[in-house]
Amino acid sequence: MKSLLVYIPGDTVIHRLNPCTKILLPLLLCIACFLTDAWWFLLGVLVLDIGIGFLAGIPGHTLKLLRGLGKLALFLLVMQVLFIQSGRVLATLPLGILITDHGLQVAVMGVLRLIDITLPLALMIAVTQMSDLANALVYHAHMPYKYAFAITSAIRFIPVFTGDMQMIMEAQTARGVAFDTKSFWKKLRLMIPLCVPLLISSVKKIESAAIAVELRGFSLRTRRSAYRRTSFDGRDLTAILAGLVLIALSVVF
Amino acid sequence: MPWCIFPADKGQHMIRISDFTFQYDSGRTPALQNINMTIADGDFVGIIGNSGAGKSTLTYAMNGVIPGFYRGDYYGSVEVNGMDTVETRPEIIASHVGSVFQDIDAQMVASVVEDEILFGLENFGIPHDEIEGRVTEALAACGIEDLRMRHIDTLSGGQRQKVAVASIVALRPRMIVLDEPTGELDPQSSEQIFALLSDINRVYGTTIVIVEQKIALLCAYARKLAVLDHGHLAFFGPVREVLANGRAMESLGIHVPRIVSLHQALSERGWYQGTAPVNMDEAERMAREAMQ
Ligand SMILES: Nc1ncnc2c1ncn2[C@@H]1O[C@H](COP(=O)(O)OP(=O)(O)OP(=O)(O)O)[C@@H](O)[C@H]1O
Ligand SMILES: [Mg+2]
Repeated sequence: MKSLLVYIPGDTVIHRLNPCTKILLPLLLCIACFLTDAWWFLLGVLVLDIGIGFLAGIPGHTLKLLRGLGKLALFLLVMQVLFIQSGRVLATLPLGILITDHGLQVAVMGVLRLIDITLPLALMIAVTQMSDLANALVYHAHMPYKYAFAITSAIRFIPVFTGDMQMIMEAQTARGVAFDTKSFWKKLRLMIPLCVPLLISSVKKIESAAIAVELRGFSLRTRRSAYRRTSFDGRDLTAILAGLVLIALSVVF
Repeated sequence: MPWCIFPADKGQHMIRISDFTFQYDSGRTPALQNINMTIADGDFVGIIGNSGAGKSTLTYAMNGVIPGFYRGDYYGSVEVNGMDTVETRPEIIASHVGSVFQDIDAQMVASVVEDEILFGLENFGIPHDEIEGRVTEALAACGIEDLRMRHIDTLSGGQRQKVAVASIVALRPRMIVLDEPTGELDPQSSEQIFALLSDINRVYGTTIVIVEQKIALLCAYARKLAVLDHGHLAFFGPVREVLANGRAMESLGIHVPRIVSLHQALSERGWYQGTAPVNMDEAERMAREAMQ
């Protein structure tokens, strides 16, 4: 879980895109996935996502993300199939639960959408250096630094908090709590009470982080402060146009 | 080209704390009580004391975190380089005083070492043609040139501490306040940090205030020692004079270096009349004299 949402250094076409493009593209894909009603379109986007992952030189990471998402997707798929009872009946399970064509269709579409939307976002995190993202949002998108910093810090703090959670869990394990249980629900029940100490330590951490940042001149920063400039060129324009074309296609199909 | 953004005004004390008492809003007793101390420009001061004695709180008073960010009952006054911390905005004080906090992870803003060092330089508007030089210099000073492109998540605690120090050194402040910067370091790296601070102090005249538990290091590098006990400033003065109160320090739970305890024992028996030694050369001289 820890290593899934981190930046992986690299120097590929994808890495070299402007950070604004890298955050815009997943959003465009997201819109397209919501507008379309065609399962093959969603499947196409999935192939595109995986292609982008390979192009960025992180095939292993992409597949790992996919596997992680796949587990969640399978769970949701089963739930939806069992809950949606309208449509043509394909099979009848014990207790009178029906498997219908409509249920299956809605479930597959939902799951594909979920993966299509999440995967690009996770990939974006893998190929974008957060300071560059903040600087690009400020410089190219004219976003106030405060907000850009908040966005990138939220992303950056994910692994920190995962680490904290791990530490709390290890401490509990040492006291005899068995987290290595196979049952998902049991594990969840054991983890929920730990959210309180995690929340407290997180709030404390964020408070001292805010102070430290303020003392390093955070509020004096201007749009032109960034030392490394990110450029916005033809490649970025092409990528964004491609995203817009996808949206157009998604409206048609 | 001046080394720091704001040179100290001539003849000013870097820090002047008068009758300072502070109680956090959520605290039941004052974290600091009736503190009086002045720190001269260019001094090297070590702060020592037990857990909860108020060491961090004292550093907060010096870098404007109190009253800037922590609410509480505030009495007395604190002046930094002639500016009253109640009347001056924290980021202005921060351009005179660089701070390295106790919680290193909370202090990191970037995911790559180089960006961490750039952050402050960019914010304080250091001219861009000067930045590259500052970054290399700060990395070299802390002995971490090879970490420049490393991912901060992959560094050890000690390496992170060096990065935190480097990111402040790059700003070239008039004064640097550090809260237990060697907490996670091995003895050799701790010594390196102190040697680095000592260099900066000597070469550029930067005032150094450092909270540190390892008293032997403080004795070897600091010129003055402040001993805190339950929010009170128990002792403050030149290292040698403070160490002369060895027994009293022991009763506060602060273990003075062995050579100082030895001096204590020798002078109580009347075998040695000199002042307490603070390094090995002086210890040797004391031993030789006592044996005669
Ligand atoms: N943010 C805060 N809110 C309320 N009380 C606080 C806060 N920070 C510190 N205190 C209290 O003030 C007192 C002094 O704390 P301080 O952190 O200055 O001690 P310290 O000498 O730095 O200890 P340590 O060696 O553990 O870092 C303690 O009693 C502590 O509980
Ligand atoms: Mg402290």
